[in-house]
Amino acid sequence: MLLVLSDEHRAHLQILTQVESAVVGEFGRIAVEFLRKGSNPKVYEGAARKLEVSSTTIQQAVEGLTYLLTESSKLLISEIDFQDSVLVLGFPEDLNKVLLQLYLDNRKEIRRILSELEPNPPHYHNLEWRLDVQLASRSLRHQIKPTITMKLHLKEDNELKTSILQTDPATLVHIIQELEQALAEMKTNHCRRIVRNIK
Amino acid sequence: MELSEDLLRGLQRLADPAQFNLKVFSAVLRAALHSLSPEQAAHPALDDTVFQHIPPCHIKECQAAATTCILEAVRNNVDRAALRYLLLHNKYGGKRVTSSFVSSYCSCSHSTFLEDCKFDKERTEHFWTEYQKHRESLEILLENIGRGPQHVSDVSWRLAYEIKTNQLYKTYRPSYLVKFNLESADTSKAPDLSFNCSMEQLQDLVGKLKDAAKSLERTSQL
Repeated sequence: MLLVLSDEHRAHLQILTQVESAVVGEFGRIAVEFLRKGSNPKVYEGAARKLEVSSTTIQQAVEGLTYLLTESSKLLISEIDFQDSVLVLGFPEDLNKVLLQLYLDNRKEIRRILSELEPNPPHYHNLEWRLDVQLASRSLRHQIKPTITMKLHLKEDNELKTSILQTDPATLVHIIQELEQALAEMKTNHCRRIVRNIK
Repeated sequence: MELSEDLLRGLQRLADPAQFNLKVFSAVLRAALHSLSPEQAAHPALDDTVFQHIPPCHIKECQAAATTCILEAVRNNVDRAALRYLLLHNKYGGKRVTSSFVSSYCSCSHSTFLEDCKFDKERTEHFWTEYQKHRESLEILLENIGRGPQHVSDVSWRLAYEIKTNQLYKTYRPSYLVKFNLESADTSKAPDLSFNCSMEQLQDLVGKLKDAAKSLERTSQL
């Protein structure tokens, strides 16, 4: 799968051909930083002064590079496909190598950052449990009623939410059985076949 | 265990053979137990023809006394001797019967509450037999009254294989949706709890639940 880069995108990246590869590396660092923390106009201005170009040119180059990295990480394109895609830019060989290295080094982290953008329903985070025996209540003295009290932590949009739940021993055993079946399902031939064929 | 004077008077009335023959007595007892059972709504408890010659206010008083007596006995896990004593104490000027009184007299297992409440032996036996018959279901009924965290009654799950999102292609990972069915006395609360988890997270969840089950098993063997 090749990346299709627009002419505008190519124009934005042209500045990379006019600087040394160390500077390209620096651009790469700024682009990754941009993904981690958002844009920082001060850095653009500093770089613009050093390279004697406008800060808009720097900004466009950083954003162009960021786009190149996010798109290729999103599609998880192979090393060869990345090289072929970048080839279209008409950059010198060593610059292509720097870009490839940048892609390979940061692919994992960029995919992690992108995964944060996914729609985020409540997600399991942690479970704490406590074993209790209810001994008496207002309406009934002399009880022996084992209960498992659970605190379920769910994460939704980086916010933790907790629920206090309770269950009895028989249901606990049933829940464990059901969920073990759920885990085992992934190992069945049916699921394996699907997983093998989707690649 | 405490019964008020009104209720003790009701029990005494119930014990009086002149007002309540054995047939009526057992009908009142049946009605009292019936009013505590889950099916009570389907059958009106007190339309028996045996009650025809008795003032309705007396029947009401006696049924209330019998019902309360049964519930209090279940609530306090009263044994045969104590129950008999409870009725015995009625003789002494209608003083309130307290659990400390009852427990101090528990050792005198032959003093009979029901009998001294002028319950004859037959009625005492009848009362005890009926009480024993319903005791377990009444305990369950009483056990379920009260507040507590939401009770997980079942779990459902769904397994999906995630392929891509608009932000990320080739994600290729199993994804589980787990739903806990919840029961709560407060029906306004959400009926269930759903959440997503990855395979590793589900393994973590199951591991922790297993830990809980294991320590439950260990504790029950003590």
